[in-house]
Amino acid sequence: MAATAEVAGARAPKQSFSRAALPYLLSLPALLVCIGILIPFFTAVYYSLQRYNLAMPFLRGFIWFDNYKDFLSDPAFWNTVSISLIYTALTVGIELLLGLGIALLLQRPTLFNNALSIALMLPLMIAPAIASLMWKLMTNPNFGILSYLVGLVGLTDFKWASDPSTALLTVVLVDIWVYTPFMMILLLAGLRGLPKQPFEAAELDGVPASFVFFRITLPMLLPYIITAALFRMLDSIQQFDIIYAMTQGGPGDKLMVFQVQAYLEFFTYTNVGRSSALLMVLWAIAYLLSHQFIKSWLRLRERARGQA
Amino acid sequence: MTEATLWSRLLRPVLLTLVALFFLFPIFWVFLMSFQTNEQILRIPPSLFFSPTLDNYWGLVSGKLVTAAGTLELPFMRNLWNSVVLSTGAVLLSLLLGVPAAYAFARFKFRLGEDIAFTLLSFRFAPPLLVLLPLNLYFQTLGLNDTYIGLIWVYQLITLPLILWIVRGYFEDISPDVEHAYRVDGHGWLKTFLKISIPLARPGIAAAALLSFIFAWNNFVFALILGSSSIQPVTVGALAFVTASGIQYGQIAAAVVLSILPTLTLALYAQRYLVEGLSLGAVKG
Amino acid sequence: MHERERDLVAQFMQRQIGRRELFRRMGQMGVGAAAASYLLNTASTQVLAADFDWQAHKGKTVTLLLNKHPYTDAMIANLDNFKTLTGMDVKYDVFPEDVYFDKVTAALSSQGTQYDAFMTGAYQTWQYGPAGWLVDMNQFISDPAYTAPNYNWEDMLPNLRASTAWSGVPGEALGGEGAKQWAVPWGFELNNLAYNKPLFDKLGLGVPKNLPELIETAAKITKDAGGPYGIGVRGSRSWASIHPGFLSAYSNYGQKDFSLADGKLSAAMNTPESKAFHDLWVKMIQDSGPKNWATYTWYQVGTDLGAGASGMIYDADILGYFMNGGDNKEAGHLAYAAIAPNPEATAPTPNVWIWSLGMNAFGQQQDAAWLFVQWASGTEHGLFGARKMDFVNPVRQSVWDDQEFKDRIAAKYPGYIEQYTTSAPGSKIYFTPQPLFFNLTTEWAASLQKMVAKEVPVSEGLDQLAESVNRQLKQAGLG
Repeated sequence: MAATAEVAGARAPKQSFSRAALPYLLSLPALLVCIGILIPFFTAVYYSLQRYNLAMPFLRGFIWFDNYKDFLSDPAFWNTVSISLIYTALTVGIELLLGLGIALLLQRPTLFNNALSIALMLPLMIAPAIASLMWKLMTNPNFGILSYLVGLVGLTDFKWASDPSTALLTVVLVDIWVYTPFMMILLLAGLRGLPKQPFEAAELDGVPASFVFFRITLPMLLPYIITAALFRMLDSIQQFDIIYAMTQGGPGDKLMVFQVQAYLEFFTYTNVGRSSALLMVLWAIAYLLSHQFIKSWLRLRERARGQA
Repeated sequence: MTEATLWSRLLRPVLLTLVALFFLFPIFWVFLMSFQTNEQILRIPPSLFFSPTLDNYWGLVSGKLVTAAGTLELPFMRNLWNSVVLSTGAVLLSLLLGVPAAYAFARFKFRLGEDIAFTLLSFRFAPPLLVLLPLNLYFQTLGLNDTYIGLIWVYQLITLPLILWIVRGYFEDISPDVEHAYRVDGHGWLKTFLKISIPLARPGIAAAALLSFIFAWNNFVFALILGSSSIQPVTVGALAFVTASGIQYGQIAAAVVLSILPTLTLALYAQRYLVEGLSLGAVKG
Repeated sequence: MHERERDLVAQFMQRQIGRRELFRRMGQMGVGAAAASYLLNTASTQVLAADFDWQAHKGKTVTLLLNKHPYTDAMIANLDNFKTLTGMDVKYDVFPEDVYFDKVTAALSSQGTQYDAFMTGAYQTWQYGPAGWLVDMNQFISDPAYTAPNYNWEDMLPNLRASTAWSGVPGEALGGEGAKQWAVPWGFELNNLAYNKPLFDKLGLGVPKNLPELIETAAKITKDAGGPYGIGVRGSRSWASIHPGFLSAYSNYGQKDFSLADGKLSAAMNTPESKAFHDLWVKMIQDSGPKNWATYTWYQVGTDLGAGASGMIYDADILGYFMNGGDNKEAGHLAYAAIAPNPEATAPTPNVWIWSLGMNAFGQQQDAAWLFVQWASGTEHGLFGARKMDFVNPVRQSVWDDQEFKDRIAAKYPGYIEQYTTSAPGSKIYFTPQPLFFNLTTEWAASLQKMVAKEVPVSEGLDQLAESVNRQLKQAGLG
């Protein structure tokens, strides 16, 4: 309850002004540094309300929400929304399960487990753009070791990122390879940090392992799961490097996620207005999703503190 | 008990082997590639057997690429250095700004506190592309383009939210009793923060710093757009082996290995903090 | 002195032709030996005194934005020559090809002054030019105050000069009336066949002369070669998959991307003839293209040929050229041939990619930058690069005529000169210039991917493509 005492102290009327200003003084520098970067953000909002293609300067003009309205009737846009969400759900979901599984395997703090957990972080240390280049080679039907290996088990005609039916699978696989270690390390830390008493009590009472996992471990781990999932979600919905390097959004429009589309609109088609509008939609989606995540995070932590 | 024995004796090693295979085999393969010539890499079918060469590494370290057409300069070591400067600088600045802020959010409930915290986190979900182009314009005016300082500033978008959020959770879980005791002894707030709070939170800070270092290290779009070739990081440097006359896979692999080394060293050094630190405090004892 | 005689003498002064050749050609023009000798002497002094001052910007430094490319390597290798000639210094930023145009677009759109000149493709000038980021080179080329008398602009291949000039009016012909020279050609590539000679010999195959033969030959390779597939072409979801072999063949069948009526553009990809052609092309990829075709870019197409994974490629001639050297397994085994895909066509019609030099409209020292562009695209550097480095294909006729260059190529690249000579007259940009080039062409590539994956029948896919293209043209006020 000490924490709440401090909080109550901060609210006490006899607090001096400087004491009341302290939290602002502490957090403002961080905010100011980032606000500087926010000015371009508002410039981009302004662009998104314009018809603005660099190659056609004479057409430039203010059109309010027409860029956004165009999206509503554009099947390509809805394809982008749905593929981005599917990609995010798949990668975050699988990485969460896999990361949790690995964290459970490595839970005991032995030397071997610690060494393996560092080794498993290696994929995270390669820039995704370069890692994808390597995956593209490894899945090449002629020289690729992975193509060769799946060929050995009979999948001689597996086309990886090139086939509409397996393209999503392939990029999700690369994403899993790169980012599961991030999930794993956060969840492993969470697992090892859990208090011992509830588990000891459960063992004394002979509670079945599955009950312990679902009723004790998982609920106590939830704040960590949410933090890890939040950061992964924010990266995943904005995925660019892997998809662009592996397929450029193809085959067809199969992997046309937000950032790939917006990148093409900007750098290749020089359509600044449309690109900005697209990114604003992406920003709004990320905003809404993280808002939900954070709300439940704060709630869970309040509850955890109440129990402590 | 038999169930548990079966689990630890059989299933666990099998699962761990599968996990290690999936995550480490590609790394192992890239490692092997870094000792091969392009011709050896591009064999049909791929093969484990080859006579190793150090040429790829030698080319990167000496900065000279000898090709049929002549000797070319490779600024790879320069790229590596740029990555070190940019990532280290960005993380240090983030720590300087983020740790006090994280402490404020953890220790005080103040008006707009959660809003400011959320705003700071929200920098993580502004797509980089969205701010990049206008930023390029403003940097041009401010004279910040093509400077380390300008880039380190922009890198805060990557490093600051991560540090803030993880360190905040850590502070929240450290019992404030110790701080109280110290303050009751007549020490000021600042001294308490520096002498007690930060040392207690060190594992969390170290772990958050390492993770944000990795994310900063892997970024390249900011430097690409905002800098000249003299301040490009190692990511762009590795792409230089994708040329019209062919992709030099061996050199890319060697570049990958070299670019992992600094991060790996850091991770090994921070290893004892890493797992402990990310546990967000979790009130030991 | 008449124009032609003067040109000849000028060529002689630049050591492009020998003394005997000069007198022979003068003879053909009806100028006697004595007269020729007189002309030569006066010209010598004229050229020497030809008041062009290469040192006019002595002490200045120009900054270049360059792509990591063999052309760049050749230029850097010869840079001291420029520095000595002009007393200027040159700084350069080299970026990887993968991200090069992103960097150019970012640098130019911010109206930054840091780069004076840069490498660009001809297609990119359709954006950069109308955007107001490029200098119209005509003002320099045509002014003797800026351009040395021996620069000899006319020596540049006419198709390339035209292909890098555009009026900016959507749909209007390249190099036509009122065209602005947005960039100066530097090096270029045209699209033909490169093939694995030993493989062809082993299977007893002849070099295909047209698309039906190509399809048949490719199928045979895929079936009989015991590993390698028949034909490498690009397929990634990018405009870059359309412009090489695909558009070259498409144009050979007399097909256009757009039709122009009353200044309005409309899609022309869904004519019956176009559909028939697409049918052939799609079938060729399905039967004997690379397995991972939809991810194939320049790099994979080249790598496969160089490593013996494919029998032929229908792509840039210089891609086959690069793969015949270096540490490629098939280095020294490749050969080249021109192809006119339409059996009824008389000559090949390769679409071209032109690496060109452009100048930043916001640059603060355009006169000095032009000196660099002039030198880099001049005959002397062209000869150096073509003889000693991989600065191919040259954009100047005089370099193609150079015996040392021809000998070097003929010795190591069988059929290369011949494929060029056969195709040169028909080599140019076959796209209709318009500002939506990149979106619409990328969409075309995405459509092709769907057709090859059998997600949509060819005819239906092209109708959908045309509909979408027309809608976008209308939206942009072009259709």
